[in-house]
Amino acid sequence: MAEIEATTGGILALALPFVAAALAPILKRIIGAHAAWVLALAPAAAFAILFSFLPEVSSGGVVQFGFDWIPAFDVRFSFRIDGLASTFGLLITGIGTLIILYSGGYLKGHRDQGRFFSFMLMFMGSMLGLVLADDLMTLFVYWELTSITSFLLIGFDHEREKARRGAIQALAITGGGGLALLAGFILIRELAGLNSMTEVLAAGDALRTSPYYLPIFILVLCGAFTKSAQMPFHVWLPNAMEAPTPVSAYLHSATMVKAGVYLLLRMQPALGDTALWTTVLPAFGAVTLVMGALLAVRATDIKITLAYTTVSSLGLLVMLIGVSTEYALIGAVLYLIAHSLFKGGLFMVAGSVDHGAHTREIDRLGGLARHMPITFAAALLCALSMGGITPFVGFLAKEEIYHALEYGDAYHIALMAAAILGNALMFAAAFIVALKPFVGKLPETIDHPHEGGFTIWFGPLVLGVLGLLGALFYETYHALFSGPMASATYGQPVEIDISFVPHLNLAFALSLATIALGIVIYLASNGVRAATSRFLASVGWGPDHGFDQAMRGLLRFSYFVTNRLQSGRLDYYMTITVIAITAALFVPMILGGALPAEPQMPQLRLPEWLVLALILVGIVAVVVAKNRLTAIVSLGIQGFGTALIFMLLGAPDLSFTQFMVETLSVVILALVMTRLKLSPADHRPLREKLPDAALALAGGAGFAVFLLSIVQRPFDPALSDFFEEYSYAIAHGKNIVNVILVDFRGVDTMGEIAVVMTTGLAVLALIRIRVGRRAKAQPDPMETTP
Amino acid sequence: MMHGALAPSDYLVIAPVAICLLFGAALLMMRKRIDWQPWLAIPGFLLLFAADVLLLLKVAAEGPQTMMMGNWKPPFGIAFTVDMLGALFVTTAGFVGVASAIYATFSMSRTERRYGFFPFMFLMMGGVSGAFLTGDIFNLYVWFEVLLMGSFGLLILGSEREQLDGATKYCFLNLVATTLFLITTGYLYGVVGTLNMADIAQKAARLENDGAVLTIAVLYLVAFGMKAAAFPLNFWLPASYHTPRFVVSALFAGLLTKVGVYALIRVLLMLFPPQHADLATLISWVAALTMLVGAFGALAQSDMRRLLNYFVIAGIGTIFAGLALTGGEGGASATVSAASAATQAGGTAPMTGMAAAAAPLVPGSDSLVIGLSGAVFYALHSIVIMTALYLAAGTAARISGSSSLRAMGGLWRARPGLAALMLVFLFAVSGLPPFSGFWPKVILVRGAFQAGMPWLGAVILLTGFLMTVASARVFALAFWRNAPEPAVAGGPNAGFAPAGEPSPMLAMLPLLILAVFAVVAGVLPQWLVALTDVAARGIVDPAGYVGSVFGGVS
Amino acid sequence: MRTVIFRFTAPYLTALMVLFSIFVLLRGHNDPGGGFIGGLIAASALAIYGIACGVAAVRRALWFHPMAISASGLFLAVVAGIFSVFAGTGFMTGLWVFPKIFGTEVALSTPLIFDIGVYLVVVGGIASIALALEERESD
Repeated sequence: MAEIEATTGGILALALPFVAAALAPILKRIIGAHAAWVLALAPAAAFAILFSFLPEVSSGGVVQFGFDWIPAFDVRFSFRIDGLASTFGLLITGIGTLIILYSGGYLKGHRDQGRFFSFMLMFMGSMLGLVLADDLMTLFVYWELTSITSFLLIGFDHEREKARRGAIQALAITGGGGLALLAGFILIRELAGLNSMTEVLAAGDALRTSPYYLPIFILVLCGAFTKSAQMPFHVWLPNAMEAPTPVSAYLHSATMVKAGVYLLLRMQPALGDTALWTTVLPAFGAVTLVMGALLAVRATDIKITLAYTTVSSLGLLVMLIGVSTEYALIGAVLYLIAHSLFKGGLFMVAGSVDHGAHTREIDRLGGLARHMPITFAAALLCALSMGGITPFVGFLAKEEIYHALEYGDAYHIALMAAAILGNALMFAAAFIVALKPFVGKLPETIDHPHEGGFTIWFGPLVLGVLGLLGALFYETYHALFSGPMASATYGQPVEIDISFVPHLNLAFALSLATIALGIVIYLASNGVRAATSRFLASVGWGPDHGFDQAMRGLLRFSYFVTNRLQSGRLDYYMTITVIAITAALFVPMILGGALPAEPQMPQLRLPEWLVLALILVGIVAVVVAKNRLTAIVSLGIQGFGTALIFMLLGAPDLSFTQFMVETLSVVILALVMTRLKLSPADHRPLREKLPDAALALAGGAGFAVFLLSIVQRPFDPALSDFFEEYSYAIAHGKNIVNVILVDFRGVDTMGEIAVVMTTGLAVLALIRIRVGRRAKAQPDPMETTP
Repeated sequence: MMHGALAPSDYLVIAPVAICLLFGAALLMMRKRIDWQPWLAIPGFLLLFAADVLLLLKVAAEGPQTMMMGNWKPPFGIAFTVDMLGALFVTTAGFVGVASAIYATFSMSRTERRYGFFPFMFLMMGGVSGAFLTGDIFNLYVWFEVLLMGSFGLLILGSEREQLDGATKYCFLNLVATTLFLITTGYLYGVVGTLNMADIAQKAARLENDGAVLTIAVLYLVAFGMKAAAFPLNFWLPASYHTPRFVVSALFAGLLTKVGVYALIRVLLMLFPPQHADLATLISWVAALTMLVGAFGALAQSDMRRLLNYFVIAGIGTIFAGLALTGGEGGASATVSAASAATQAGGTAPMTGMAAAAAPLVPGSDSLVIGLSGAVFYALHSIVIMTALYLAAGTAARISGSSSLRAMGGLWRARPGLAALMLVFLFAVSGLPPFSGFWPKVILVRGAFQAGMPWLGAVILLTGFLMTVASARVFALAFWRNAPEPAVAGGPNAGFAPAGEPSPMLAMLPLLILAVFAVVAGVLPQWLVALTDVAARGIVDPAGYVGSVFGGVS
Repeated sequence: MRTVIFRFTAPYLTALMVLFSIFVLLRGHNDPGGGFIGGLIAASALAIYGIACGVAAVRRALWFHPMAISASGLFLAVVAGIFSVFAGTGFMTGLWVFPKIFGTEVALSTPLIFDIGVYLVVVGGIASIALALEERESD
């Protein structure tokens, strides 16, 4: 029973966002921006459904459901809700609900709001499917769906070039990484025989010890790193800021960018804790953490600042996952949840500021606190959490992280240094975004700053408050959310006991040091910004620039290759074709030992010799002909020779037909040649003609040699015997040729007369339509105008 | 003589060809009644499609079907033999035929109808259908000629200078290929003394290490490879496909190259399996280069139609990749190809080593069948999607007044429905889920890994990536961006929508029909996978095919 | 070319050639001949008539457009194949009847109908090309 309920509920939760997405444009048309209230019910309901699974999941259970999708390849449409998936799912649907409401206010009156809701909900559904999916192919389908829908979302302001570029860049990087992930999944499925996450997790050391560990590791990492914006793939993320702010708030807090982190967390028990894992992940993570934070402080647009802190946070998460110890994973889980809450909130705050003050430039912002008090409160709540100050969930995370790294060896010291530096920079960035715009003097450039409507401040406030409540009621928080998630990630049950009450230990001391450093950076932010800018300017090259170079290079390479290959010259195409045919004749003939034996001099009668001579004369005449018309006529001589051979061999029908066909082809070819206005002769110098001649001879020789080889074999005359025997007996015809044509192989003739008819019509069309066109004088720009 | 009296349903085997020729002839007889043409042609194509579907159902239920033309017993008469492979191809062809016919009704000018658009189209479809259904190799050649002439007629309708240039290249190079096909068939007849394909399959099996048979197989590979536009014999396609009317390009792109692919599968894989195994390495290289040439070519284009030309080629490469896989289960040829792949892969040594050990890991699966099944699935997908892309591009070009990416724009806002469909087709052709191009790619990559050719799988994925970038570019420029400036004085709609222009919604109908396939085959692929699997097994082990021709006895 | 003698004799020549072509068509099953050659002869006859008396005269004489004749030939040929449906045998099975007309046994068969179809296709197709080309030359 429970299983059936799980199936219905689970599928319903997965389907709801897509259903809402389909309805969104219609609803928008009917009730305008209020559609947000109705549409938000979909993620809210999905949230409720997932919440109902919580008792089972938090006690270590796993809810599974699904059905066969493509039995031919053991692909199932199956899902698995454990602690990790449950917490992720709740974040996605919960924040999703708030975001939909927020978009209702933020994009009020936008002409494409319906479309926007639709994309947003589709993205939500894809992301939810991604984290709940069990079967690897199911997961991958959702993975690519998030790439596709985010392409649409980033390019939402499609009339601006930057938005288009951002969308293409995101699709190229995350889509490309997705293909690597696909390869990795196919390896896991086909070579390790593991079809689903459940099987992967149950396989224990199977993947780690398998000979395919290295390629699987690399491919999965490619997928995760591109999606989760690790250096140097991070470039798409700041450029994705071209999307409307609700998109940034959603994609860059709880979701899209976390998909890669999710994957790493998910596969950690199966792939993690190897020398490779604990080296590569922290290395990439630490670099991303520090670089991201530096770039965040440098930026002047508060949204871009937030984007880079997201990059930085993702670096921290990847680093922690790479460390792979119990504490590190707990730290990662705590930080991930905290990050989703405060970053989602801060992005919405940035949007509110933009909405209220019409700028996001930090230099032009100030003194908004009086005009936007609720937004300010929400901003502070989020920033305190981000800064790691008690009693907020960010504090719990940071304590745990330092706790995980406090070992004396060089490895941990290096990572600890990165963590402290990165956290301090992020602390500064948090307050640059959440404090600076609100304090000080209101610049005159800001005209009538105002608080947005309920939907605009509601979301960030809820997220800020949740960050506080999570820390205050930390036991419930650990029991329902972080604990099960960490257990699922670590692969065995873990206890989390970190509370908001600080204890005097190394971690706390480091935490204080971080905050102190952060405050220093905050106060000196202008100097830090200038210094970073100078430094980056002196480097002059960044991955974003590199992406452009790569794209330009790719296009230039494409032009080069294509123009080389597709020259537009028929003679060049013919040369390649004849070379291919000649090679196809000789190479297998020689390798396969099918060369003919030396032929006997044939015993021919005099007329036959004469005809042969005639044909030869014709061919020579074609070659030496001074102009094309002579060549065509000479070609006819060769054809008449063939007709004579038919005659000599006793087939007057064929012979006569051949005569007629040759005559007609000569006439028609001659007419066509005069009409095409080609140069009447081949004027190339001998030097250019010789290679063509050699090639033609080689090709002809190939056909001849192979024909010799074939006729030297014994022939099976069953067919001709049959025709001779039954032509009159059954088919009532003495003329075997005719009986073959109209009876034995009548269907061939049916096809051939269709060819004759079509040719007639084609020639007619070719000749006539030109006459018609000349009469129709006006130009016709459209190819298909009726 | 051999068979007893036939039931009416047995005539389904020949029905598609007969319908096409009858309608083609009838429409030509009433050529001057221009207004009647579409109202006869569309029911005709519906009838054709209905016959195709019934035939497919019959084959699915009863296995391969054979009808001996003129009641002459095999191998003396011409056999029409339909197995799952042929039935799937012919049905898909009928499907896009219906869509194109509806589209043509709204897009072909009166002059072009007068000079036989619909007769040409029926004759071409007749040639295509005949090629998919016949069981006689010379008869296959005849249908090739029919479709070549039909396509030539369609290609020149309009007679613009650029068109004639394209048509010349198309005609010359295709004639070379068709003639090579004919000559090779002559050689083959000299060796085996029969033209019936089931008979050839049996007789060629006794000539495993025969150099002449190998040469014939290579010649067929060249001839059909050229027809299919495989590198390095693909020149004719980008030289000509962008010149005729969009609906004609659509039909060509969907069908003509796929007939080459079909013939290659039928002849090389079914008639000459040992030779195919010898050639697998060569085919894998051809496949990889064709894919890359197509993908890079697409990136290099700034005209939507030329870009689509290269998408066709990339698709052909992907299909060829499926034909490059040889049996994974132990067979001598498989080990050879795995070893040769190992030497080629070079840089990816660990992958190769692992893949070479792959075969025993997955018991009971045969990468030859997987590859072929994926190739067939991809080919069917490509027939539908390429047709759809050209038709959608045609509508887009009609609205923008140009098919150049430099001049197009603003369609996302102007025509959201068209834009959405275009997006579906672009994602489908790039192989992104949940559309029809995704699963065949998964199958092919999977088969490549199993067959010990991970590098080929990597090329398939790389091609998918490049096509994704090219598609995104198309979409961003032609649909998202605002129109640079009105291409024609008087706004982008100038010269369009003259009085009596049928409602554009009706012109969207064919696109909608084709999009249904893209989505259904992407979301619920099991039925199609099951069918292509049957088709692939029928080629790898043609006992059913042979049995249907010669009866259970021989 | 358009000498008076030629113009005067051409109609008779054409009539003779067309008659001969029908003869060649009908005897084809047992002696050299058949629809294809017959059609070629008839098409040549029409071409000669066109050269002598102008294309318009030929078109008037033919009544139907050559392409329509050609198409009717294909139609007839396919229909001849479909006859076998009524006999329950494979497509294009030769069906024969030997009725006595005026005391002579005449062999009528679907292959004959088919061959007539071939004849018409060839006459129409080739004549269409020839006439179109002749018309162009006189433009």
